[in-house]
Amino acid sequence: MSHHVDAPIPDWNEVRDALTKAARERILILDGAMGTMIQRQKLTEENFRGERFKDWKLPLQGNNDLLVITEPQIIEDIHYQYFMAGADIAETNTFSATSVAQADYACEDAVYDINYQGVVVARRAALKAEAADGRRRFVAGAIGPTNKTSSMSTDVSSPGFRSITFDELVVAYGEAIRGLVDAGADLLLFETITDTLNTKAGIFAAQRLFEERGIDVPIMISGTITDLSGRTLSGQTPTAFWYSVRHANPITIGLNCALGANAMRAHLGELSDAADTFICAYPNAGLPNAFGQYDESPEFMAEQVEGFAQAGYLNIVGGCCGSTPDHIAAIAKAVSKYPPRVVPENEKLLRLAGLEPFTLTKDIPFVNVGERTNVTGSARFRKLITAGDYTAALDVARDQVANGAQVIDINMDEGLIDSKQVMIDYLNLLAAEPDIAKVPLMIDSSKWEVIEAGLKCVQGKALVNSISMKEGEAQFLAQARLVRAYGAAVVVMAFDEKGQADTEARKVEICTRAYKLLTEVVGFPPEDIVFDPNVFAVATGIEEHNNYGNDFIGATKTITETLPHVHISGGISNLSFSFRGNEPVREAMHAVFLYYAIQNGMDMGIVNAGQLAVYESIDAELRDACEDVILNRNPEATDRLLAIAERYRGTAGKEVAAKDLSWREKSVEDRIAHALVNGITEYIDADTDEARLKLPRPLHVIEGPLMAGMSIVGDLFGSGKMFLPQVVKSARVMKQAVALLLPYMEAEKNADGNATGRQSAGKVLMATVKGDVHDIGKNIVGVVLSCNNYEIIDLGVMVPTAKILQTARDEKVDIIGLSGLITPSLDEMVHVAAEMEREGFDIPLLIGGATTSRVHTAVKIHPRYNLGQAVHVHDASRAVGVVGNLLSKDNKVSFIADIRAEYAKAAAAHERAELDKKRVPLAEARANSFKPDWSGYVPPKPSFIGTKVFDDIDLADIAKYIDWTPFFQTWELKGRYPAILQDERQGEAARQLWADAQAMLKQIIDEKWFKPRAVVGFWPANASGDDIRLYKDEGRAEEIATLFTLRQQLSKRDGKPHMALADFVAPAGTPDYMGAFVVTAGLEEVAIADKFEAANDDYSSILVKALADRFAEAYAEQMHERVRKEYWGYGAAESFAPDELAGEPYRGIRPAPGYPAQPDHTEKTTLFRLLDAEKNAGVTLTESYAMWPGSSVSGIYFSHPESYYFGVAKVERDQVIDYAQRKNMPVAEVERWLGPILNYIPGPAIIAAE
Amino acid sequence: MGKVEPIPVTLVTEPGRLLALDADTALLRLPANTGHGHDDGAQCPACAMRTDVRALLFDMLEGARQGLRPGFSKVVVDASAVTDTARVVDALMGKLPAQALRDHTVARSFYLAGAA
Repeated sequence: MSHHVDAPIPDWNEVRDALTKAARERILILDGAMGTMIQRQKLTEENFRGERFKDWKLPLQGNNDLLVITEPQIIEDIHYQYFMAGADIAETNTFSATSVAQADYACEDAVYDINYQGVVVARRAALKAEAADGRRRFVAGAIGPTNKTSSMSTDVSSPGFRSITFDELVVAYGEAIRGLVDAGADLLLFETITDTLNTKAGIFAAQRLFEERGIDVPIMISGTITDLSGRTLSGQTPTAFWYSVRHANPITIGLNCALGANAMRAHLGELSDAADTFICAYPNAGLPNAFGQYDESPEFMAEQVEGFAQAGYLNIVGGCCGSTPDHIAAIAKAVSKYPPRVVPENEKLLRLAGLEPFTLTKDIPFVNVGERTNVTGSARFRKLITAGDYTAALDVARDQVANGAQVIDINMDEGLIDSKQVMIDYLNLLAAEPDIAKVPLMIDSSKWEVIEAGLKCVQGKALVNSISMKEGEAQFLAQARLVRAYGAAVVVMAFDEKGQADTEARKVEICTRAYKLLTEVVGFPPEDIVFDPNVFAVATGIEEHNNYGNDFIGATKTITETLPHVHISGGISNLSFSFRGNEPVREAMHAVFLYYAIQNGMDMGIVNAGQLAVYESIDAELRDACEDVILNRNPEATDRLLAIAERYRGTAGKEVAAKDLSWREKSVEDRIAHALVNGITEYIDADTDEARLKLPRPLHVIEGPLMAGMSIVGDLFGSGKMFLPQVVKSARVMKQAVALLLPYMEAEKNADGNATGRQSAGKVLMATVKGDVHDIGKNIVGVVLSCNNYEIIDLGVMVPTAKILQTARDEKVDIIGLSGLITPSLDEMVHVAAEMEREGFDIPLLIGGATTSRVHTAVKIHPRYNLGQAVHVHDASRAVGVVGNLLSKDNKVSFIADIRAEYAKAAAAHERAELDKKRVPLAEARANSFKPDWSGYVPPKPSFIGTKVFDDIDLADIAKYIDWTPFFQTWELKGRYPAILQDERQGEAARQLWADAQAMLKQIIDEKWFKPRAVVGFWPANASGDDIRLYKDEGRAEEIATLFTLRQQLSKRDGKPHMALADFVAPAGTPDYMGAFVVTAGLEEVAIADKFEAANDDYSSILVKALADRFAEAYAEQMHERVRKEYWGYGAAESFAPDELAGEPYRGIRPAPGYPAQPDHTEKTTLFRLLDAEKNAGVTLTESYAMWPGSSVSGIYFSHPESYYFGVAKVERDQVIDYAQRKNMPVAEVERWLGPILNYIPGPAIIAAE
Repeated sequence: MGKVEPIPVTLVTEPGRLLALDADTALLRLPANTGHGHDDGAQCPACAMRTDVRALLFDMLEGARQGLRPGFSKVVVDASAVTDTARVVDALMGKLPAQALRDHTVARSFYLAGAA
């Protein structure tokens, strides 16, 4: 390219100096919007086409950048107007001039020319302006974001997809930049940056060209904040964005577009504080109004921008969309009276970024780099990655971040996978998870190509682990330059041509050499260098190894003292390699090692933070022995540690009974069947793979040995020889096997498009209805059905009817199954049935859950759904039979006929029974109330009035209060604990379940899985009829709440009273009290259960939920005891053991609203208000008054010695009307909530004609 | 951190349609499309953040997370002022190309439960 007079090539070093000097003297002015000015010209298609594109195949109107070729004078005039309005810098009209953006107009071939001509016309205007007033003008070559994004997917359902890659962008940007540079642009301006990774590709392209030409064009970088929370489109905060592009060494960083000046202010302030370079801001002239026009006047915008200058945020300022020469003139005038911002000098600290920034400041003693996402460090992660289970693999990363990892290490070095591709896939998926992507990443591989591929996927500033001089200086320098060009920091291993550094001297020597090369030859910032001086195993029995601990610690000290600003990291687990299997000793060694290494300057490490002992709490003898070994304090150190190590082995090395492995010698089919029947996951991957290689197609493995094994399981379960917990374990084996086969089936499907997929026996949609959160039973049924080859679509909990029906229609399901635990869910199920009828469904509807019953289904649900059939399923073991019959062509008709006959009988019997049960009128029941003798009774007084919140939770203590009988019931093992363990039929299954539960219980306690919370309250109270009035204080003047109770109306024999809870509280005149409580096992169970589920482990998922329920109940029991003994105090002398409490031998009760003694769930509202349970215990109520989290218990405390649990049973219309008046609630609403206990059909009363 | 139950969104497209709102429901009124001189749907950050239902839902979500507005468990989107409501439906169903990371967050946090 020859240069004509319009394109003088500047001396860019001179440009940089001149601009820097000017920007220190005053706030410089950038021009305003080009698009707005072009719009005013009202140009036609002909203007855009000009001569060159006269016969172009596509319409070109709107391709503004083309005008630099087709209407150069118009563009030059606009530039000139801006210059004369006060602009020092003009942006070329080349925003969309990349091959990526020009593809829309098929103008890719014109990209170089547009960029070139864009500079030419701007330069012409600049020279003209300089001639007019003698002031220097600059031309900035504008580079837009392109219209594609490399850091995320455009398809929300396929988050790993990318429409453009880093490499493609490097090519596209490279071409544009060449045009700008060839034409002599003074500066390059990356603007309106919506995706930092795109810009990193642009920077990469620019620097490559600079290197090629031996030039250094100053770069300006301007991002765009696009939502009110202050993030770029790709999700970064302003500071994270700055850290991610800092390696371009830009002359300015700043913000433009998107928001008006006002909304930009806070974000600009953040950048101004963070950035050690000039700040450039050019906001829009407000936001577009309804007519697409920007209505901020020049004066208004100038006033806003003046605020920036006043705050000291500005070095350069201009305008974006909507601004005009008038705006620029007003801005130039407004800021002229303020001095420019003084560029701060930043401390040399390691600054990394994900979506959010991370700075290794002096007050962070040690950075824990999460190691669970490293296939070489975590067997579980390796398994997930090799199985292609990215969802669970992402959860591993998510957990690490949730647990406080500040950086996470990603390593995919596994021989059996394509590490490079897996690294790309995983990082691309991870980028769509804001709660993971917020932290910076350590891209870890022993293969450079994997590292490089990883660097091309991350928009943030990552840390590379690692490079070294192993292959010589040339390669080291080349890789270091690339790390820098990709904008990352680097871990350098102490490794050179001679090998890995072992002694202190070698470590120091290699690191010093690397430091000099990096800082002096490459120009690498020293604060971005992390040395790994190699942690080696000690106490190996080999004498040369004895000093390795000392060598590392000594080298760390020297390196950090002599090489300024660097960091030290290392992989700690190597150290204790010779004590594999003895975790307590390994943890102690790591803790001791870190204790000394950190003191000497180590500030980063790849550690499993969860498995780190606290130095001070290590047993003195063990600590001493570890110190002797690590610090090499005496020659016998290793022997001494070995001698005592066994004693600390603890539970980790528990003796395991020798297993009978004879079944491993059978055929692969038999082995699979054995694994399924016995729930053994250990060998299933290998066996499945063997079967896959043996059989013609992967599908045959499922349809053959796996289904054969499951049908044995099904038979054993059906005949009562296997029990639910065992079946769920079998399902876990099945799921794991299927997961292994899926990728092969997919591959097969892709290979010959028409391969048939697995034929499921039918699709079943399962949901816990709206307002309800309980799902253990539903999950069990789901697992059992999926074992029997049904495809399960589980919509989870609190599912609205519309979603159930929509999904049923979209997925063409064969059956819908509804579940619920609390009584309002019964009505919700009736509603779903009615809606199915209304919308013309005819598929079967299964009803299950604790409060459901055959009678309720027969009487309330079945009549509302005539097009199909509602069927009550009593327990999971019957689900398979019922579903099988309902979907069988042959049996369906007769099965439904049987059900209808059965339901007709049940309904008739129910009606008769109801007629037989005579209810007494409310007045009569009240007259026969329970009347304790209040005259000689002094109600006990609680130790406080008001509420008390508990967070002194001891999980181990709570566990003592667990009543295990209901736990076994959850798993459909019926009988009382502990007798059930010895039960002849179910004993074996019960014992196994018991063992698993104990193991998990131990983990729950040791690792503090749950965080239970509780709130308890007491108030002065007196009964008033069937109500209980609660008072603010002893004065009993200010009433703060009324608890309404319901009274029994069934006819009683032997003069027994008609009970209501109010009877247990003294009437006015005798000072009495009431208590209330909400306890919860906490929300944590949900996440843990989800995690198990994601790992195809439904068994553990259900187990943890069942245990959480038990914890909540146990906590309620323990709290009740504390209340009796301490807070209310009337039971101070009690001495029951925790496991005796389930029989309620103590004085006082704690009934819960919604249960038999007070069946009205809505009373919980009062309770929750009194206790402020949402704030104090984190428990909320759903619209059906279920408590969330589900493992929660609430209730009211009564202290009266004669109080006991009773059931209100059915009530009559007279009480409902009375109750509605007292509660000030419409009768119809009361009827809705009391639906299941109404002894009449709601609606207008009908008086039968005689 | 567990899965968060997605929030149902009810879409109103007819002008003048009244809906009962309870305390758990947040109302989002979409403004008419502005389109300042570019094609409808072109990637324009200035427009998107004022008119794109996803950007506005994300702001609501962030606002609630930061305690700047009351929490909500349901959303009613009033799109009666919008000409191209099919676009709003596509956005809510995840069929519109994502322009921002927030669009991924919104896709996971909300679902179109129905129209009123």
